[in-house]
Amino acid sequence: MILLQLAINGVLLGGVLALSALGFNIVFGVMRVVNLAHGDFVVLAAVFAAYEFAQSGINPLLLLPLTIVAGFVAGALIHHLLLRRLPGEIASAEASSLTLTFGLSYFLTGAGLATFGGRFVSVPYLTGAFQLGPISIPQARLLAFAVAVVLSLAFAFVLRSTALGRAIRATSQNLDGALACGVDVDRVRTLAFAIGTAVATAAGTLMSFLYNLNAQQGVLFTVNAFAVVVIGGLGNYTGAVLGALVLGLAESFASYFVGATLAEAAPYLLFILVLLLAPGGLRGRRAA
Amino acid sequence: MTEPLLAVDGVSIAFGGVQALSEVSLEVRDGEILALIGPNGAGKTTLFNVISGVLRPDAGDVRFAGRSIVGWAPHRIARAGVARTYQIVRPFGRLSVVDNVAVGALVHARTIERARNDARDVVGFVGLGAYADRPASSLTLTQRKRLEVARALALRPKLLLLDEVMAGLTPTEMDGMAEFVLHLSERGIAAVAGIEHVMRLVMRISHRIVVLDAGRRIAEGDPAAILTDPAVIEAYLGAPLGIGG
Amino acid sequence: MKRAAAVLAALVIVVLILAPLRLNGYAINLLYITLLSIGLAYGWNIISGYAGYFSFGQIAFFGVGAYATGLLVADLHWFWMPAAFAGGVLACALAIPLGYVMLRLRGPFFAMGMFGMAQMVRVLVTAIPATGSGSGLFLPPGSGITEVYYWTLAICAGAIALTIWIDRSAFGLRLQALREDEQVAGTLGVDTTRAKITAFALSALIPGLLGGGYALFLTYIEPDAVFSSRLDLQSIVMAILGGLGTVWGPLIGGLVMTQISEALWARFPQIYLMIFGGLLVALLIALPRGIVPAIADRFAARRNA
Repeated sequence: MILLQLAINGVLLGGVLALSALGFNIVFGVMRVVNLAHGDFVVLAAVFAAYEFAQSGINPLLLLPLTIVAGFVAGALIHHLLLRRLPGEIASAEASSLTLTFGLSYFLTGAGLATFGGRFVSVPYLTGAFQLGPISIPQARLLAFAVAVVLSLAFAFVLRSTALGRAIRATSQNLDGALACGVDVDRVRTLAFAIGTAVATAAGTLMSFLYNLNAQQGVLFTVNAFAVVVIGGLGNYTGAVLGALVLGLAESFASYFVGATLAEAAPYLLFILVLLLAPGGLRGRRAA
Repeated sequence: MTEPLLAVDGVSIAFGGVQALSEVSLEVRDGEILALIGPNGAGKTTLFNVISGVLRPDAGDVRFAGRSIVGWAPHRIARAGVARTYQIVRPFGRLSVVDNVAVGALVHARTIERARNDARDVVGFVGLGAYADRPASSLTLTQRKRLEVARALALRPKLLLLDEVMAGLTPTEMDGMAEFVLHLSERGIAAVAGIEHVMRLVMRISHRIVVLDAGRRIAEGDPAAILTDPAVIEAYLGAPLGIGG
Repeated sequence: MKRAAAVLAALVIVVLILAPLRLNGYAINLLYITLLSIGLAYGWNIISGYAGYFSFGQIAFFGVGAYATGLLVADLHWFWMPAAFAGGVLACALAIPLGYVMLRLRGPFFAMGMFGMAQMVRVLVTAIPATGSGSGLFLPPGSGITEVYYWTLAICAGAIALTIWIDRSAFGLRLQALREDEQVAGTLGVDTTRAKITAFALSALIPGLLGGGYALFLTYIEPDAVFSSRLDLQSIVMAILGGLGTVWGPLIGGLVMTQISEALWARFPQIYLMIFGGLLVALLIALPRGIVPAIADRFAARRNA
């Protein structure tokens, strides 16, 4: 029964992780940019939601539109003003954007600590749980899971059925082809990055009532998102959902069986194992 | 009959669901120039990747100087005497022209000074002497093609794999390159020249021709015979083989 | 010109050697931190600048060196110098198998993989009961700031000498070829695996040795202090600011940044992160190759004009 409980917790967690990873995946899929600041967007949104709740009792779900818009705007600015302007001299484009988002991550962490302080916060919302016999399903988790699913489906809809979505898919699959078809690649990339960060902040807002977080934990979520995306296949959105479920289950079981201190290492261990064992162009190059 | 310098024996490889090469076999002898022709996507580059060790075939064998080199790391194959150029030139952009060539020269030179000296000689030999100390990224495409060849030569290879070395050159430059390859052949360096078109050069420089199409060898023989082979003509979709072009 | 530079360098070294005799504690502290930062930047420069494998987890080796030294001194009562040396050797030895595994990853995967590795190493090291399990490890007094200063000066000088050698050697040329295009380097005869792992091991040895010194400096080590992301970030920024893949880049970057860095960290830790993070971003856009190449280009332009 414990196992079933852990599994359910894991699945619910996986749903929210999937949303977070979705944002990361969009950016990677479209631009081959690994946004190391991704987790900071998640965490800052969570901390902000917790802060607002403490100040004015406002329901984090009501803050969702606000955080989504803020995330979108921030992402658009970051891409438009910074990422676009990376010259190719210091290293490959990959290494440059990687290091830039690395710096950005620290910047955001510092900003978060400066604004909100270093305390661990969360939103005590819906702390009850539904009881299905011996299994308890925490309401907060279920809600977060539901919202995550809705947002993911909304994004999938955009991707599949709108002009923007087509442009995004075209740009990520075949850059030259997209250019030839008149796609404004710069604009698509800015929008994709903005959507990525908006989704991250949405996920973070939901996380605020799942976890105790502080402004320094962005990295953990970046690593999580990275692991999910790598398991599922880069740019593969459905695969990422599966990856998120795997990761959610793994974390759920790990913290139960291995204990708190070592469980801290679990996401990183899983991440590294996934990097090393996952198929696809991760492990050096096989073909020219 | 002595052992051929290079023997590719029944090599097959697939990736991404595509059978890139199916049981391809060919031989190259010392000093011989073999033209490997075929339409784009026929598998020429893949075959070069297999021979140079970048890719490992699913089946078949590759023997160089009598030894099987399948599974050898690329650097080991290079040291054994197989040098390759790349279809899309890939110079070490931030290194100087000399340093680009010195990397290969390190295989035979004991010290870096010696390697750089040897490299300068090769750089001069291919006509890039004036640009020796400039960063490779500052070279034009034609110059980069020469750099590709220079880098390969620095390995003092017994076999050169030239992947589309003519692409992007003017007719005069192509003639120059052809002369160059012939010159090397006279000095005992064998070459496999992967060429998509420009048949007049193929006719001029090659001792033998192997034709690939969709990963298979569809013809092999001397230039005159290949020209009239119906399978070859069909593979090129009836396009004239343009001897006069 | 070269002779003048060599004389200058010799003078600087003499001054640095004599410094502890004349300067007060605070100044020596600052000098020590400067040398430490410069050394770390040099370590990072090898794997990331010369070999082109950006690593966001070299701090793992710093921490390993620190804890190894700490344990040897605290529990096994070793004399400080062999203990610090052993810290470096252990970090280097760890790097070899680690390198075999991690260096198969390319670009962002390697960078993040190393980051994850550093976190894992931190957790594992602090899980060992002997290390005080997160509540810290006390080192008995037995070495003062002077010893640590000289140790760090020696390592830093060694790192610079090593970098000079790499820059001019066949090994360095192979590394740079690998950085520019790993596959082509392979088909031109470079044993890329061996070159990468050697570079990685050297990039672990330096922080390992420096970490040993740091443990002795702090005399009380806890995980966050030695597996410090701030030191990691700092060495990266310094190397990039000065000029990645150059001989003098990390020195220039270190000299310029350390003073600002220490002042900021002491007073405004959160702003520190913001400034360093923001600085890294600005550098990549405005001055991507760093100070040293920019100056070198200016000189070259003047000569050719």
